[in-house]
Amino acid sequence: MSGTFQTQIMLSRPYLTRAQIKRAQQNTIPDRRVYNQKRLSVFKLLCDMCVQFKFPRKTLETAMYFYQRYYLFNKFETELCYDVATSCLFLSCKQVETIKKITDVATLSLRLRNVQKLSPEVVDNCKKRIVQLELRILETCCFDYRVNNSVHIDDILVKIAKDLSLDREVAHLAWLIAFDALKLEILLMVPQHTIALAVLKVACELTEGTSWPNIRYSLFESDEPSVSEAYFDILNFFINVFDLSDLRNNLTENLRHIGIETFIELKKQAGLERGLKEPENILSDELLCGERDFTIRERRYVLTRKRINDERSSKHPYKREKV
Amino acid sequence: MLSQPEYSKEKKVGEGTYAVVYLGTKRSSNRRIAIKEIKTSGFKDGLDMSAIREVKYLQEMQHVNVIELVDVFMAQNNLNLVLEFLPADLEMVIKDTSILFTQADIKSWLLMTLRGVHHCHRNFILHRDLKPNNLLLSPDGQLKIADFGLARNMGSPQEFLTSNVVTRWYRAPELLFGARHYTGAVDMWSVGVIFAELMLRIPYLPGKDDIDQIDVTFRALGTPTDKDWPEISTFSAYNKIQIYPPPSREELRRRFIAATENALDLMSGMLLMNPHKRLDPIQCLTSEYFLELPEPTVPSELPTLKKNT
Repeated sequence: MSGTFQTQIMLSRPYLTRAQIKRAQQNTIPDRRVYNQKRLSVFKLLCDMCVQFKFPRKTLETAMYFYQRYYLFNKFETELCYDVATSCLFLSCKQVETIKKITDVATLSLRLRNVQKLSPEVVDNCKKRIVQLELRILETCCFDYRVNNSVHIDDILVKIAKDLSLDREVAHLAWLIAFDALKLEILLMVPQHTIALAVLKVACELTEGTSWPNIRYSLFESDEPSVSEAYFDILNFFINVFDLSDLRNNLTENLRHIGIETFIELKKQAGLERGLKEPENILSDELLCGERDFTIRERRYVLTRKRINDERSSKHPYKREKV
Repeated sequence: MLSQPEYSKEKKVGEGTYAVVYLGTKRSSNRRIAIKEIKTSGFKDGLDMSAIREVKYLQEMQHVNVIELVDVFMAQNNLNLVLEFLPADLEMVIKDTSILFTQADIKSWLLMTLRGVHHCHRNFILHRDLKPNNLLLSPDGQLKIADFGLARNMGSPQEFLTSNVVTRWYRAPELLFGARHYTGAVDMWSVGVIFAELMLRIPYLPGKDDIDQIDVTFRALGTPTDKDWPEISTFSAYNKIQIYPPPSREELRRRFIAATENALDLMSGMLLMNPHKRLDPIQCLTSEYFLELPEPTVPSELPTLKKNT
């Protein structure tokens, strides 16, 4: 198809459902196990970089979104994934205004990866790759700055906790849980404030004497299916790998009793697993099934379907597509 | 997918450090547009921050007094921003001595500027580079705030911001002192200076360098004291500066001969040293100045440049 078309208009869809993500990854990730392993070590690398640079958590969060998003539409190769991750972090610094020089980012990334000889040439090559990948990452996100802009899990969860008059301990526990949530694909499925609601819910249920208030999620610009999606994703994560979680290592004295069983119990009480409704047209969804063609001459990115429809209708006044 | 590119670049009209600007056409609607092609190669820190900020903040803003970002597209490996085509700016009009303008014209431009700034601020965006050169004028006379390359979100209280923003002549005192926390008041100061410039037809506070700017600003408006700005002594640079008395009302009247009392009140309110006391866009928009005669000129009847490109 490449070369046939000179222009393409693409609607930004910053969040996808679990099945949609799976479908996109079929094109890009040959071995799921390898990808998952690498994702954890990439997360570790990004974490270490953020600690060294004293970045706030939002820089890490945005980088993890970019990284996972990138591999929905670009082939996963183990050799390149650390460079992709480094580029994601570099870009995320610009996105959340924690700017660092590219040389510093490249050097630290290489050093943490134990690259033996850090010659200027090696650093320069790394910088080149970071810059090349940067635009591609933005393109996979359709230059959509509505996400990862001003709302981030860690600070919105504090605000919501205050609003709901939750105890400081609950908010702190939620803040710890939220760190583990950054490792999950949930970042690609629901917005940050929804994840914040879900971690607060988990935290409430883990704290004795506190129960999650029965609130309408619409008050916080969210909804039940989205919060449930995040809630169950987080429970499942802890049920599967609690021993490897950061939560386990950071629990305060009075919460040491929390373990896999606690999460299994929560899940039992929560009833049937539920979440976002999966659309029926996944197999015919071009964004997910077709491979992205980055060779088209003019690739346009828009945020609303209305824009696409308006242009179509101005060309074919009688054929208006349903929104 | 369509088979023909939607945008054509017809003429190169400018080149900045990070972008080349072309004049072009959007084919589907035959609309004249400006295309900013972002240079990607040659920059050692990758994609320029200004380009990122421009997309980030213009993407969601839609207001008649803020430039419209029509589209974002990639061509080959270059990022392109499609913007409204605006042939003139306020600086060109101020400098063109063949153009005469009235108090009503000034009021109209100030009103449109304030509406645009108000829209930015209510969306929690600081522009941080307001100056006549960034206030563009459309063929139908509408003024539009442009160049969001320095814009940013109003940070959370504990966040540090850089004080190295805003073109020198339009820089608020807190920035001159190197403040790391500031608010929309920095933009309001710039608007105040622009207001003065519209009345004087020459730059009001033209400092030669950053040090001189401090001197020029306080010589014209008086050195702030900790009586009206208690936090002022926490800035380390404060102790080293010359103390000037504030100008009397008489003096202001002499400087701005054609200005009414309400115009002077409004300008002085935007040029208050203490950023907490400085007027915000709503206070300005509801000020007496906009209630008294003459009414602001209708945009389509404002003076324009003779030779529009």
